[in-house]
Amino acid sequence: MKINDLSLYSRYAFRDLTRSYSKILSIIITLLISLFILSAILTIEDSLENELNENSKVLLGGDLEIDYNNKEGDRSLINQVESFSTVSQMVEFSTMISTTKNKNNKTSFTRIKAVDQNYPLYGEVIYEPIGSLENLNKIDNTIIVNENIFKNLELKINDIVKVQNKEFKVIGTVKVLPDIGGAFVFGDFALTGKKTLDNLELNTLGSFLNYEYKIRFDGDENKDNKINKIVNIFKNDSKVKIRYPENSAGGIKRIIDNFSQFLSLVSISAMLIAGIGIANTLLSFINQKNSSIAVQKSIGINSVNIKTIYYLQLFIILFFISLIAYGLSFLLVPIVDKYISDGFGLNIEASFSLTNLSIVFLVGLLVIIIFSIPTVNSIDQIKASSLFRNVFQSLQFKYSKKSIILSLFLLAILIILFAYRSSLPYYSLIYFASFFVCLAMFFYVSRLIILLLRNNLTNLGISSKIAVKNITQSKSITPITVMSLGLGMTLLLTLAFVGSNFKREIAKSIPDIAPDYFFLGIQNNQKDLFQKVINETDEDAVIEIVPIVSAGIVKINGIDPNTYISNSNDSYWVIMNDRRVSWVDTIPKDNPILEGSWWDTSQPNKLQISLDSKVAKDFGVNIGDKFTLRIYGREIEGEVVNLRLVNYQDLSINFAMLLNPQFAKNIPHEYLSTIKFKKADNFNEVNFLDQFPSVSIIKISDYLSKVTDVLNKVFIAVSIISAVTVIIGLVVISSAIIVQGKIKTFQNLIFKILGFSKKEIIISSIIEFIISFLSIILFSTVFSVIASKFIIENIFQLNWLFEFEIFLYVIIGVGLTTLALIILTNLKYLSPKVYPLVRNE
Amino acid sequence: MSKLLKLSNVNLNYTIDSKSINILKNISFDVDYKETISVVGESGSGKTSLIMLIGGLEKVSSGNIFFRDSELSKMNEDEISEIRRKNIGIVFQSFYLIPNYTALENVSLSLEINKFDNPKSKAKEILDRFGLSNRFNNFPSQLSGGEQQRVAIARSVAMKPEIILADEPTGNLDSENTHKISNLLFNYIEDENASLIMVTHDNNLANLTKRKITIKDGVISENK
Ligand SMILES: Nc1ncnc2c1ncn2[C@@H]1O[C@H](COP(=O)(O)OP(=O)(O)OP(=O)(O)O)[C@@H](O)[C@H]1O
Ligand SMILES: [Mg+2]
Repeated sequence: MKINDLSLYSRYAFRDLTRSYSKILSIIITLLISLFILSAILTIEDSLENELNENSKVLLGGDLEIDYNNKEGDRSLINQVESFSTVSQMVEFSTMISTTKNKNNKTSFTRIKAVDQNYPLYGEVIYEPIGSLENLNKIDNTIIVNENIFKNLELKINDIVKVQNKEFKVIGTVKVLPDIGGAFVFGDFALTGKKTLDNLELNTLGSFLNYEYKIRFDGDENKDNKINKIVNIFKNDSKVKIRYPENSAGGIKRIIDNFSQFLSLVSISAMLIAGIGIANTLLSFINQKNSSIAVQKSIGINSVNIKTIYYLQLFIILFFISLIAYGLSFLLVPIVDKYISDGFGLNIEASFSLTNLSIVFLVGLLVIIIFSIPTVNSIDQIKASSLFRNVFQSLQFKYSKKSIILSLFLLAILIILFAYRSSLPYYSLIYFASFFVCLAMFFYVSRLIILLLRNNLTNLGISSKIAVKNITQSKSITPITVMSLGLGMTLLLTLAFVGSNFKREIAKSIPDIAPDYFFLGIQNNQKDLFQKVINETDEDAVIEIVPIVSAGIVKINGIDPNTYISNSNDSYWVIMNDRRVSWVDTIPKDNPILEGSWWDTSQPNKLQISLDSKVAKDFGVNIGDKFTLRIYGREIEGEVVNLRLVNYQDLSINFAMLLNPQFAKNIPHEYLSTIKFKKADNFNEVNFLDQFPSVSIIKISDYLSKVTDVLNKVFIAVSIISAVTVIIGLVVISSAIIVQGKIKTFQNLIFKILGFSKKEIIISSIIEFIISFLSIILFSTVFSVIASKFIIENIFQLNWLFEFEIFLYVIIGVGLTTLALIILTNLKYLSPKVYPLVRNE
Repeated sequence: MSKLLKLSNVNLNYTIDSKSINILKNISFDVDYKETISVVGESGSGKTSLIMLIGGLEKVSSGNIFFRDSELSKMNEDEISEIRRKNIGIVFQSFYLIPNYTALENVSLSLEINKFDNPKSKAKEILDRFGLSNRFNNFPSQLSGGEQQRVAIARSVAMKPEIILADEPTGNLDSENTHKISNLLFNYIEDENASLIMVTHDNNLANLTKRKITIKDGVISENK
């Protein structure tokens, strides 16, 4: 086609569109909703990642970080760095804070940052009152706690709290810290001055002590030169890890990535359901244009050009809707910003991205073309000769071999586009496969309903007869209802089942298997006393106590472990920092061995390692491979002798690495314990801390309630977004009813003439709805049970149960909404005026 | 000088319930440039079918139709479209205007796709000539039947076709409108040197043409 032809046809397309867009309103609405969701996901993801990237220095706390782990840094080396840059020393540790009132004292497990006067090098600490941050290093034994501790411990400014038997004065509260790249996101935290450290006993493993030196480059000298200088300074100090801003927010980025990829799958589902409606509405639109198209053909415009006009109309709609949807998504950013800025201290701002706009447009284009090919192709069926005979046959979807192949090809592009953007392409593909299997199944379900009802028309009440007739007639909307609502229901039910099972499993683990407390940092010489004290408190308490030492993996089979996996791998945490490792004589009962054998006791002088099987798989490590561990500065080579299945979710003591006790027991170590009390009320945290000031207590229920709180929010957000698929389904259904409207009106008129009451007609639409809806429920339940069971049992490795309550909520909610919608839409056709219809016929 | 249109031994069969019915049988006649022909005959005799064949909207079962020197029956859909677009104007009994186009837009449509310069002003000129100068922006639903048919005729003659095919152009109109329309149509054909093939039941109308072809049961029974 020539360019000036195209401009002519574009003009026609534009004109047609401006004059008849109301007839394709449902296409516009469903496209707008689903593209809006997609845009919102892309825009928010983009803004978050931009913020993380722009603030990577803030998140790290410097241009560079020298991490000395649990050892104080080598002062002579640090001084060399200080000669050309600013250094801020920071020590992080976990410990207990207790109040010191006369009675009802409370405690809180807290991560404390001891900072110097240079803190923060980048970003901003939001705290109150003015000057308190500076005072940390001016006045001894002062502390600033986060708002949560302040509230939970019912503190006031100038109250005295105890940290490991030392008294501290609370001189302020802190809301947001800039350097949250680490683990500060969910826990409680506090700030104190650098000198404080000398007063505390922090050399325990339980305090997760960490010495960091944040570095800011000053002056103009080339940044890379400085980095090289620093790398050179520390190259012989094996305890040092140098961290760069690029990696500062790896964990958060991964969460955002996975979450947004999941949501974009939901949005593409919404798009595909919208596609069903688009095909249907478009067919009726073209049917209405039947005679105009015949006229165009009689004038000598060929079929291809007429089809071009229709594709152009879709193209124009899509163009504007993409722009609007993308533009609207910017309105969501401030809302999301409000939500997350409290917790994370991030300030996200929407920024225009041509790539994202193109993705939105491209996805829309693919969906539109895929679903409009058979519809627009029906234009071929229109004959100009109809104009002589005054009869216009109603059009059907037209599938040719060529168009089917084209559709499949475009669909493949769409799927690849999504799978490619995903970090878990495998799951995306499974998702698409399941989606299309469900789509096909629902299509056959609708055929089956029609088939079954067609053959069983006898012995029915009059309303039922009408309902059955409506379902089985050739223009029935049953297939569209069943497919669009069925898919939406399946998705919603699946997520509801996954969410409720997940929540139940986590809530359940509190009373059942999980212990009440974790105790960290029990010293070697305190072990017996600890057990005695616990037994005196509650003789029935179940104590599990294991030795721990800190070990870093320096080499795997003689080479840097970083060459085995990237920092985006699920198991990167194993080599990111030193890990706590333990040793036991017998196989832990909840850690079955998958490969290899338990300790070889004939070789007590050889270090043997039992490894988490998932970690082994991620690293590509097998039995017989050699790990070089650094324990207390000594490098020891050990061999992987077996792989264990570790389930971290049971909240008992789980280790990625276990060592053979014969070898390990002589290493200086401390203990980690979990306790499950019978008489939990007897245990007084404050009294316990008086005896064991350096031990940290983590109350599992507090911790879990924090986790479930977060999960709950995520679950609600996900459900709301997924409900979009149902909403789209409903728009599709109501537009299908409207499309059917003319027939409906005529039919209702005949019923009226035949003497049916309105009530009987309404009852018949309710019966029609119930028949479709029951089969939708039946099949979407089956599909969602299969899908959610797979997800819960195979991906999360939890127990799956049929959550009847959630099931009821979902089906009643969706059912009533759909019914209301169907009745409302049908009401329009319920009072046909006899006169105009008779005149027109 | 060659003929504008030449039909030789044209047959048209329709298949109903796997039985083939012969609608038009061995039709042969020529049409000269600037010739006007009326086609008459009983209902169901095959007049409309004949017009459809000539307009390339239906394919012959056997025989040949030549438009100028090109054989319609050997062309594909697109080639026929091309011929029709440039050379054949069709007028239907039921007018068939595009409902969401104004009168002016309906007329300029065929000018635009034939790439005429200033299609809008040319369309206005023609509508003016057909007495519709104050109806340019009316939509078909805002026009009377007679006005609609005048717009339809304006549309089919706008790009100055060699031949106009009309199937009972006045069949849906009263006698006054019939008179008006036939005047317009014949004046136009006279002025623009076009040919006309017109199916009609109206003897007065048929008498306005130079030649009259009568069809009976699919066969030409009279041609004079
Ligand atoms: N698609 C078709 N299939 C089978 N038979 C057809 C078809 N179209 C038309 N016919 C038959 O062909 C015959 C000729 O039809 P046609 O429309 O040409 O008649 P006509 O002369 O125009 O009649 P009228 O004056 O009533 O318009 C009729 O008997 C009609 O029944
Ligand atoms: Mg006829």
